[in-house]
Amino acid sequence: MDFELTEEQKARRKEYFDFCKELEKKRPASFVGLEAVFEVDECWQFHLDCAKEFAKKGWLALAWPPEYGGSGTMMDKVLFADARGYHGIPGVDIFGIGMLAPTVLQAASDEVKKEFLPPIARGEVMWCELWSEPNAGSDLATLSTTAIKKGDEYIINGQKTWNTGAHRADWGFGVFKTDPDARKHHNMTFILLDMKTPGVTVRPIPYIDGDAPFAEVYFDDVHVPAKNIVGQENEGWAVVNLLAGFERSGMGEIMSMFRELEEIVKYCNETKRNGKPLSKDPIVRNRVAQLACELEAARTIAYRIADLQNRNEMALMDASAAKIFYSELGQRFAFVATDLAGPFGQVKHSRWAAADGAWEKAFQECFVTIISMGTNEIQRNIISWYGLGLPRMK
Amino acid sequence: MDLRFSEAQEILRKMVRDFLATECPKTLVRELEQSEKGYSPELWKKMAELGWMGLVIPEEYEGMGYTFQDLTILLEEAGRNILPGPLLTTVISTFPILEAGTEEQKKEFLPKIALGELIITTAQLEADGTFDASGIAVKATAKGEDFIINGTKLFVEMAHVADYIICVTRTKEGATEKGITLFIVDAKTPGVKCEVIPTIAADKLCEVRFDNVAVPKKNMLGKLDEGWPLVETMMRKGAIAKSAESVGAMQTCVEMTVAYCKERVQYERPIGAFQALQHIMANMWTSMETSRYLLYEAAWMESEGQPCAKEASFAKAYTNEAYRDVSQWAIRLHGGIATSYDHDIPLYYRRSKAADTAFGSTDFHRELAAQQIGLK
Repeated sequence: MDFELTEEQKARRKEYFDFCKELEKKRPASFVGLEAVFEVDECWQFHLDCAKEFAKKGWLALAWPPEYGGSGTMMDKVLFADARGYHGIPGVDIFGIGMLAPTVLQAASDEVKKEFLPPIARGEVMWCELWSEPNAGSDLATLSTTAIKKGDEYIINGQKTWNTGAHRADWGFGVFKTDPDARKHHNMTFILLDMKTPGVTVRPIPYIDGDAPFAEVYFDDVHVPAKNIVGQENEGWAVVNLLAGFERSGMGEIMSMFRELEEIVKYCNETKRNGKPLSKDPIVRNRVAQLACELEAARTIAYRIADLQNRNEMALMDASAAKIFYSELGQRFAFVATDLAGPFGQVKHSRWAAADGAWEKAFQECFVTIISMGTNEIQRNIISWYGLGLPRMK
Repeated sequence: MDLRFSEAQEILRKMVRDFLATECPKTLVRELEQSEKGYSPELWKKMAELGWMGLVIPEEYEGMGYTFQDLTILLEEAGRNILPGPLLTTVISTFPILEAGTEEQKKEFLPKIALGELIITTAQLEADGTFDASGIAVKATAKGEDFIINGTKLFVEMAHVADYIICVTRTKEGATEKGITLFIVDAKTPGVKCEVIPTIAADKLCEVRFDNVAVPKKNMLGKLDEGWPLVETMMRKGAIAKSAESVGAMQTCVEMTVAYCKERVQYERPIGAFQALQHIMANMWTSMETSRYLLYEAAWMESEGQPCAKEASFAKAYTNEAYRDVSQWAIRLHGGIATSYDHDIPLYYRRSKAADTAFGSTDFHRELAAQQIGLK
């Protein structure tokens, strides 16, 4: 057993951290919270700028095969997420790079790979995910938006929803029903489409805090070239599962909590209440220390996943456990931090805000990680059914 | 980075697991709870033949020369099976001898410990109940060639069967970390009196009274007045060791609960088919797995000689609560049957309290963690 990084990995990690530290200096003040890139124009621009910088370094194609411009290992990808998480730097498209690219690499035709991967690696094209529908959420297989083949095109009609960043994205990937008469799980296709195609209407949805990180997308006779698919026609469900299998260790989210912990400690040391620093209050010390314990638990389980992935081993149960754990820990962080800040914990990014409003934002934003990418309840099903071998719900 | 155990470590794990499954069934565990000694001398002898007490003792002192991480593998399996007796306390009490013992002391004690000929324990806690240095009030006063120890120690594990007791004493007035000295006390010395305290895990924690107990100066462990760092090291290693037992115990709680829920039929289906129970089991598994890697990290750092006070406290504070939570859910998911004394699950639940108390409670370790993360 060895928890230490190799000298080479340490050097790479330092390179990522140094680079992100510099980028942090250029980050707009309005960049508060995890979803700011989708909500604020100048933050989206910052995201695009960072993406270009990373593309120059070749860091958007980490762990890709060299023929598509890839370099580095899975561990480099984790260490890069580490640095971006800690410094709060966007620039890596979670959909295009985090989900679509590994799926395309594994399941798409050479033609699709050649067309779609290079613009992702260059940081030129940003993607969104077209998954959920008003009546198909966790039970995605019941979706009803159709893509009916006509000649060398699919014609899409219907509606998708909760599409994070769809109002910013250039392209979208999603699953659509291509054979409404076929049996479940063999009736849908994984399709790539230009979000500027006529007939696509994107309407931002206000999140609970009033900002708009996500949108709903309407399709009204949208024509898509039939070649723009991943996997076989009508076998999109297998691609959905493949994509879901590219579990992420959550290292970025976890490292952003390390930064948050530092901010909380600093706040407690510097803030006086009842005439003494918060840090002298045993209840405060206990609560913050508990967060620190749990954060280290999250970090070590993320390492466990990274270690498995680096050897191309599956980490299905651990990835679900990690997702449950870090997302709910994020919520506990928000609860404790806003508690410690007292009345200032409720103040939005403005003069009287604690931590520039980051904790207020976290209090509202915490549901994003808890609900997206498979709700934590679905993750618990995954652990129960596929991990512990308990009977599946019919 | 490579978070796998070595092949040798996997062999060690399997060997310990198989041995305990055969040699330490739950009938024996319950029998030992009720017995006076609280351990089985026959089993102790067999464990000695396998080299368990001397696992981390260097070969020159008849030990196996294994690493601290190897030890935690052994203890994880001990916790998984439940192994009553003085193994953990003997092994942990070995560390201050290894760290600060004179060559003479090492030659006198280590080979006997390694061969299972000697049981040794440590007396730290007192009536105040704190793990802090401020709680040490038992006095040792120099007199001729001896030190004279007076006072009462509490919760001294297996002291009633121990041959030696490492006694943490105050040799200088005050309540600070200065002025604390360790002595290796022969448990048969006149004036040493032991009484077993009835506890939740029936794990033979003792009250030990020292009434003018004369200890030769040569039995002082480490330097006069500077013994506290040895206690801190022992507590840190003990906290990690105890966390290892707890992780093992959680594993059994999860496995038994999942197996039972697949078997037990109500409403014409296995109760494990109900999501209300599935999600609890998923949580139990998650608690176990997050505890596991916290433990492995701390154990690895300790093994490598890296500073790990923070990680040890993280692991102990976290596993304390995780073990209690997992084991209480294990009882609830089993239902009425697991509230019977004869069921195996409550053995684990009761030990969660013992594990929590040993080497520092949750709140104690959270305070240590608070200091480590920079709260002023």
